[in-house]
Amino acid sequence: MKGDRKYILIFLFPMAAFMSIFLYYPFFKSLYLSFFRTKGFFDKKFVGFDNYKRLMSDDLLGAATLHTLEIMLYTVVFQVGIALILAVMVDNISKFQRFYRTVFFFPVVISGTAISLLFVLFYNYNFGLLNNILATLGLEKVLWLSESNALKAIAVPTVWHYVGFYFVLFLTAMAKIPNDYYEAAKLEGIRGFKKMTKLTIPLILSDIKVVITLAITGTMKVFEFVWVIARGQNNTEVLGTYMYKKALVDQNFGYGSTIAIYMVVLGVVLALVANRLLKSEEITY
Amino acid sequence: MKRPSLVLMSMLLIFSMFLAACGGTNEVKNDPKETPKAEEPKKEEPKKDVALRVFSTFGGTDTAREAFQAAIDEFTTKNPNVKVDNDTMSANDDGFRTKVNTDMSSGNEPDLLFYFAGVDAQGFVDAGKVVPMNDILDADAEWKAGFTPSALENTRQKDGNIYAIPLTGFYEGLFVNKKLFADNNLELPTDWEKMKKAVSTFAAKGIIPLAAPFDQSHYVVEHFILSAAGPESQAKGLADGVDPNWEKGYAAMKELYDLGAFPKDAATIDLGMASNYYGTGKAAMILEGSWAFGGFADAAVKDNTTVIPFPVVPGGVGSGNDIIGGFGSGFYLTKATFDNADKKDAAIALMKHLTSPATIQKIAVANGGTPAAKVEITGLAQAAMDGFAMAANSKSINNPVDSRIAPETFSALRAGVQQVVTGKKSPADALKEAKTIEDENKK
Repeated sequence: MKGDRKYILIFLFPMAAFMSIFLYYPFFKSLYLSFFRTKGFFDKKFVGFDNYKRLMSDDLLGAATLHTLEIMLYTVVFQVGIALILAVMVDNISKFQRFYRTVFFFPVVISGTAISLLFVLFYNYNFGLLNNILATLGLEKVLWLSESNALKAIAVPTVWHYVGFYFVLFLTAMAKIPNDYYEAAKLEGIRGFKKMTKLTIPLILSDIKVVITLAITGTMKVFEFVWVIARGQNNTEVLGTYMYKKALVDQNFGYGSTIAIYMVVLGVVLALVANRLLKSEEITY
Repeated sequence: MKRPSLVLMSMLLIFSMFLAACGGTNEVKNDPKETPKAEEPKKEEPKKDVALRVFSTFGGTDTAREAFQAAIDEFTTKNPNVKVDNDTMSANDDGFRTKVNTDMSSGNEPDLLFYFAGVDAQGFVDAGKVVPMNDILDADAEWKAGFTPSALENTRQKDGNIYAIPLTGFYEGLFVNKKLFADNNLELPTDWEKMKKAVSTFAAKGIIPLAAPFDQSHYVVEHFILSAAGPESQAKGLADGVDPNWEKGYAAMKELYDLGAFPKDAATIDLGMASNYYGTGKAAMILEGSWAFGGFADAAVKDNTTVIPFPVVPGGVGSGNDIIGGFGSGFYLTKATFDNADKKDAAIALMKHLTSPATIQKIAVANGGTPAAKVEITGLAQAAMDGFAMAANSKSINNPVDSRIAPETFSALRAGVQQVVTGKKSPADALKEAKTIEDENKK
């Protein structure tokens, strides 16, 4: 044990170094910058808690937080929900399982920006696919990205993009359930929908919990869909795009960093809350 | 069992401190005087191999990309000992500004940098990252004589030095599709009444009158403010209070919006999509710059385009013949390269080659910009010639308003467009908000 410790440290060091350089260092640098008023890259001035005061009274930030939470709701309900339904269905078939697995997983490997561009062409008012279909049917064109609708329209590709990932996680979890459970259930005459609600889902509950936490923290990172499809306009600004605008478009790195810190805090709080709400005992097979 | 994790934690902590310390020394190292391998023993060798990195926006979809690469190839053929890395990034988004600023502030400067002059450059100019070119220009009378004096004047920084050597300039204006106007028996919008008539007529026919996005409304804001407030007031920016005339610009935007001037999806499209609407004949007008010709998809639209100054908005104090333009960018020689004896001469030679009248002519023909040298530009499309004529006959050529105010202030002005036209905010409130941000930035 004593001799092992050296090797443990040696093997952990590369990852620790990597994390320090690319995660902890930027984090502390952001924390440091959040106390400065910056003008571009060359000029900064210490302003104490001014940026945090601004954070408190920033209406746009409040709106961005609400939009982020709304997307979070859609992801938790639909992304996790659809992934679970698909997984249950695919788990119950014996043929073509691999085929479906590939098909459903496929969107995950496409870049988010590419998917966004695709949806720009779906939603465009003047020559988008959806409005072209409506026009051929002789119907009135719809402004898909209107003020009331834009965020929901963006939620569609956001949800679709990652459904496959959670689907695969669920499917793997289901594959771990020992077959005897199902055989016993079969003898008891439990099948179909009841089997799913009474057996499959309770047995993978800890995985569902993990997936929900992943979905919640993942939404904090939503950026490209909002940026490419609607540029954060029409009530679609989320925290990611707002931070980018402040830091890189406006070159106000101080305030941008403050928003980043706010996002970290919010993300941690939400993850903790989710963990607390979803508390369940571990199941061992 | 707790021990290893404790050791690991403390290692992490020490490591991050070490990194933070690194960051500190790096900043000190940015001092341009301290250049690596500066004073190596000089021998009487014929010519050393030199590698130069030139960063510019002549890449991607830029219309002058090939002409620029050809100019570099010409230089390397004549000087086989010099290798040039043509490092480019598209100017379509703000990403390249970030790239330039990080490079300049982290000790990764290119040898020659093609970038904006004015407030955009103020940061690295003040930090001493680039060299004033006055003496180098004076030392080579032939090179200096090649430029039109006004072009060189235009890139002068606040401190009175010229850092950026201009290549081609630009103009912005109202691009109109003459054919759509003729087909609908409309006159070109040379005054506000004609503009209003054109907007209502096109809107009724289902043609987008003015292809303009709300978010990337850079050119909209620039033109409406210039026309409402006139050249002098717009040049002052927001430093000493809000000129009430600026409000008239925003009020005029709302007037046009209410007549149906903007595309239905103006809120969510970007400039590329707006240009697409105009370039495919779906829109009758667009506010754009001289670089836009390359982006219009339909050749017929290009042929039917002419460029006119933006008309005076109601109550505006502009003359109706003021345009936005200038030589807003040029080549910088970085201090690190200037201090590097191995690179200095080659870099200056390359700079002279890239800004020679011959190169300037080729680039100007390719991108339709105003040449910074006294050269004849031939073979351009009629629309581009119209643009030159507009610039030549204009009463004043003004730097855009965003070169006068902080980037964050300009973002606030842009964000105000949608708020004002949809009636959520009054023009006065939108400008007051921008003024608050400008004051914050001045602190």
